[in-house]
Amino acid sequence: MLTIRGLSAGYEGAGDVLHGIDLDIGPGERVALMGRNGMGKTTLLRAIMGHVRNRSGRVALDSVDLAGRPPFAVSNAGVAYVPQGREIFDDFTVEENLRLGLLGKIGMRARVPEAIFARFPMLGERRSQVAGSMSGGEQQLLAIARAVIGAPRLLLLDEPSEGLQPSIVQSLVATLRAVAGEHAMSMLLVEQNVSMVVALTTRCLFIENGCVVDECDSARLRDDRALLDRYLSV
Amino acid sequence: MAQTFVILLDAANFTLALLLVTLGLLIIFGLMNVINMAHGELFLLGAYSVVVVEQRGGSFWLALVLAPLALALIGVLIEEVVIRHVYRRFIDTILATWGLSIGLKQAVIVGFGATAQQVPNPLPQAVRVVGTLYPLYRLFVMAVAVLAAAATFLLFYRTSLGLAARAVIANRSMASSLGLNTRRMDRMTFAFGAALAGLAGAVMAPLMSVDPQMGVGFLIPAFLSILVGGAGSLLGALLGTTLIAAASTLVSSVWTQIVAEITVFGLAIVVIRLFPRGLTGGRR
Repeated sequence: MLTIRGLSAGYEGAGDVLHGIDLDIGPGERVALMGRNGMGKTTLLRAIMGHVRNRSGRVALDSVDLAGRPPFAVSNAGVAYVPQGREIFDDFTVEENLRLGLLGKIGMRARVPEAIFARFPMLGERRSQVAGSMSGGEQQLLAIARAVIGAPRLLLLDEPSEGLQPSIVQSLVATLRAVAGEHAMSMLLVEQNVSMVVALTTRCLFIENGCVVDECDSARLRDDRALLDRYLSV
Repeated sequence: MAQTFVILLDAANFTLALLLVTLGLLIIFGLMNVINMAHGELFLLGAYSVVVVEQRGGSFWLALVLAPLALALIGVLIEEVVIRHVYRRFIDTILATWGLSIGLKQAVIVGFGATAQQVPNPLPQAVRVVGTLYPLYRLFVMAVAVLAAAATFLLFYRTSLGLAARAVIANRSMASSLGLNTRRMDRMTFAFGAALAGLAGAVMAPLMSVDPQMGVGFLIPAFLSILVGGAGSLLGALLGTTLIAAASTLVSSVWTQIVAEITVFGLAIVVIRLFPRGLTGGRR
């Protein structure tokens, strides 16, 4: 499914942030990526998306080569991205935000299918509300709905639980499990929230200084404090 | 009574003519944030398109259709060669488009000479409006301005293409993550702004002296209108042009053109002092 080999990438005018990342995600597999701040988690997601220039290495979705392609092409190849901070279009309505998830892929005639409101009933009630006026949890759901409306094969999520109450995080997990299950969607989740990682993913990778240094079953995180201390505590 | 009505009609006429010129700038400057010093020259090229078509024996009405198309193509070219390298670099944008402005103006002088060209009025009749005779072509210009403003509004706020264009403007990297080809949207948006400038130049050609300096006269009030009204909103552009054009027409009909210009600049300074983001607060 997603294959990354020896990926090195960084920002222009600065050194590399990623140093030879190797990573595989199978079809329908949900994988977490954990690590301290500044280790390259967000950069890895942005590099897959094509927002960060890849200096070397291979990124492929099945047989489609993604390295060096612009973000809109990566998106059209079947990768969707929910960035940190959600980045919904504040001034647009909920429905317009959702439509933007389709326009680049299906074309300018795209209409938001009713099915998405069956999965996200809260958004159905608010389809003509201005997105910026919703709560953080609602905006996060909108960002996820906007990402999955185009039926991607791989969903990249960057800290979706950030700033949300535990009860909201739980419902977010339930929604993500349901969505991923329906479409056999693979997932790469960058997250600090251990309970979310345990509930949503099967495998967890640890990143340190731009390299994937270790991995384990996500379930092990529940009681292996030593592992968390080694890769997460400051 | 009739005298007052003519002044009001003149004010409405100038407002709508200015709105027509401002529309293209509203898209390129107000929405895309490109300070396009060459916008007056795009207007100029629109007017000269009419001269070219009429020299080749085409009618004014054909020119009116061809001018926006020609300017859309020129807009694509300018975006590709110059503008795309200077997005979000304000000072460089001003310098680059200023250079472009000089280049285009000199090219027109080389091609057509520095003297004014004549574009005959295609609708020389006058019609009776509430007891006074008013030139028919001026009414036509007003109708074109209203239609162009309505079409622009519908395109940007009621169609998917407009939604995509606004999304690219609001958050470029997120828009591209969603699969929108931002390069193509930039090019199309800029070309549309250029086409509107071309339309404005072509429509105004019969009412003005078509010479290489004609772009400047409208460019400054157009920029002022956007600053006064608030960048990024069509309502703001309408408000700003109404204020600028009405003040200018009313004052110049009572006093002189010079007093009118002083009033307009004074008004703009006061409004911008009180509403730094324009009357509509830069709402998008």
